[in-house]
This record gives sequence, structure tokens and C-alpha cells, in this order.
Amino acid sequence: MKPKIRLPSERVNEWGLADTEGLAPSIAAARQQLRRVAYRMRSVDPVTTELVRIRNARYQNCFF
Amino acid sequence: MTWLPGLPEADTDWGQLAAISPQAVAALSAVVAAAWEENDPVLLELARLRIATLLGNTAELARHTTKAKAAGLTDAQVADLAAWPTSPRFTARERACLSLTEQFVIDANGVTDTQVADVTEHLGAAGCYAFVEAVSVLETFQRACLTLGLESVPGVDELVEAAAHDDVTREVR
Repeated sequence: MKPKIRLPSERVNEWGLADTEGLAPSIAAARQQLRRVAYRMRSVDPVTTELVRIRNARYQNCFF
Repeated sequence: MTWLPGLPEADTDWGQLAAISPQAVAALSAVVAAAWEENDPVLLELARLRIATLLGNTAELARHTTKAKAAGLTDAQVADLAAWPTSPRFTARERACLSLTEQFVIDANGVTDTQVADVTEHLGAAGCYAFVEAVSVLETFQRACLTLGLESVPGVDELVEAAAHDDVTREVR
């Protein structure tokens, strides 16, 4: 997938996605913390969580 | 009022949610606060209000942030927001951001290279990235509130203030 904006480098991360490290650092850190909290909640079982994630990815055309 | 059953008593829907899931609420507040920290408050307030209109989020439309007014947002602009494509009250920079915001909310896959290039021309690549991230945060926040029926939630000023005094927020900064 080609990024729509010019990124500081052409590096890709471990998932093969454009590396956005260093961009919007406060939002990235806060999002990461929210993900951590969400995973720790464990109030939704992993199967349902994964089904929702995959369905949403397909709906959004996120094929990676 | 939220339809979630069995929540403890609190003054607001947000307070009720915080009572059962304080860390998640604090982390969500921190994400919203970070979005405002990294963007022009006028552009973000215009985006926030436009998202609220598109989603039919009347509770969010009723809230305003002092950050944006302090940065130059006028009541006339807010009143004229639905007419942003043609109203002379909006700059090319604001129009570029509103155009991308609308398309993002309606169908993110439909955001065009031209829309991104227009925003990048005014904000730079890093600024465009931060703006898109922030729009994503605002949209997610509003959709979550609508889905859960959360009407009495803090405004931007209160969320930023809460995040500044919260352990979860301090942990990520």
C-alpha cells in the first residue's frame, strides 16, 4: 500500500506497513496505552474480539 | 442517558462509565487530549463540530472548547459551518481540512490523493498525519458515545484537564 502522504523515510515496520514512528507522538503513545488497557479488560472473549477486528478490517478495505 | 444497565450512580453518563472502567475512560480521555495537543485547535474544533453534524450528535454540537475560541475561532464561523465550501468565512486551509474530514467520516476509503495533497500543502506531511489521526480519534469518540447513549460527557476542555491530572495519561507521556 502506498502512503498518500510523504513520510520521513521509506522504511516499513514488522508488518510491512509504512513506518510512521515519530509522527504525532502524543497521539501514538496515548493510542498505545488505550490498546493496552483494552486488552487488559478481558471483558470480551478473544474469539469475538478477533471476529470483530477482522470484520472491521474487511469493511474498511484493510487487507494487511 | 446511557442504556447500559446496572451502572453505579453518578452525576453524568461519563461518570457512570468511569465508575466501572476507570482505566479505560482515563485512557480514552488521554487519546482525546493528545489529539488536541498536536493540532491547531481551530481546525480541530471545526472538524469536531462537522463530525457531530454528520453523525447527528446533538449533545456534542452543544459543547464548545475555549481552546478554539482563544485561538481565533468565531461564532460566525461556527454558525456558517454547514456552508463551508462556499462561505467566505473559511480559509483555503480550513476548507481543505473540512473536505478531508467529511470524506473520512462518510467513507475513509474515498479520501482522494487531491484531498490529502490539499491538507499537506497547508499543514505539511507531519501535520496532515497528525490531523488525520486526530479526526480518527474524534470520530471514534463520538461514535462510541452515540452507540452507548452517552449524552452527558465532558467537553474537550474537561477531557484535557482530566487527562493532565490522571495517572494513566502521565504514564504515556
